[in-house]
Amino acid sequence: MNDPFARYLCLGCGFLYDEQIGLPEHGIAAGTRWNDIPDDWVCPDCGTPKAHFEMVAIPYAPGEPEASASNTF
Amino acid sequence: MERFILKAADRGYNKLVSVGGPASYIAGHPDAFLTRHSSFNFDDYQSGRHGFGKMRVFGDETFSHAGCGYNMHPHHDFIIMAFILSGELTHINTLGKVDTLKAGDYYAFSAGSGGKHCELNIEQEDLHVIYVWVLPDTLLLPPTYQRAHFNAIAARNKLVPVVGGNSSLPINQDLSISRLDSDTPGTYEYKLKSPNHGVYFFVVDGSATLDGVSLDKRDSVGIYSTDTITFQTGTDKSDILIVETIM
Repeated sequence: MNDPFARYLCLGCGFLYDEQIGLPEHGIAAGTRWNDIPDDWVCPDCGTPKAHFEMVAIPYAPGEPEASASNTF
Repeated sequence: MERFILKAADRGYNKLVSVGGPASYIAGHPDAFLTRHSSFNFDDYQSGRHGFGKMRVFGDETFSHAGCGYNMHPHHDFIIMAFILSGELTHINTLGKVDTLKAGDYYAFSAGSGGKHCELNIEQEDLHVIYVWVLPDTLLLPPTYQRAHFNAIAARNKLVPVVGGNSSLPINQDLSISRLDSDTPGTYEYKLKSPNHGVYFFVVDGSATLDGVSLDKRDSVGIYSTDTITFQTGTDKSDILIVETIM
């Protein structure tokens, strides 16, 4: 499990799941791999099923993702 | 050259009503409804193509009856564009923008680190609009909203860049959109930016022949691994959108 952490983007709204960060506010610890998230999990913003996320290899803007950590959208 | 042809009737189709389960998402009077023809997989439609290059959504939508539309809802990262074909769109976003867009107007809303928007038809006349969603080249950029107008009369029979590239509306992706409004048969050559780019060619109105393929209203073609495309417009008034994207 030395693969680099990956990022997954919701194709329903653009919500981002970053394995390195997890979603602690939704009970998913930092470092949780995508494969370890239940198949019935849905996007917390729009309800899109996990299967309709796409792995993306897009870099973050400078200062991110820390700067958006308090973003409530 | 690689290509696919997508006939208008073979696209995904959804009809969304403003009552029952979707009522929190779909705005409007109880008789309001929204139809969406999707060129690529989106929402319940998942038996088509995943997307094309950096484009994930190409939705040909109609908002019928007053108040119809999408209630305020969140986005991240996607660059969402709307091209108004007819009717009037009221767009409200969390950048503080309330905008009214009519035929020829278009916007690009880059959701970046987070933004919400609401899309409404508050008029009696149907709103016809094409939505295009594009992945950005950078995640969590500051959100932005830009709008512009395609002047079909000034641009008659000329292929005009409207988004990205040499247009007045830059986006954070190697993707550009051009539009042609033609009222006379003509032959056009479109040179791609590189062999790694592809073109999604969509006939909004009228007809066209692209590399020998006859296309009618709302038909489309995706082409890549080629350096140039050549097309002819028909005798009717034709309106064509060309999305060029890094593949």
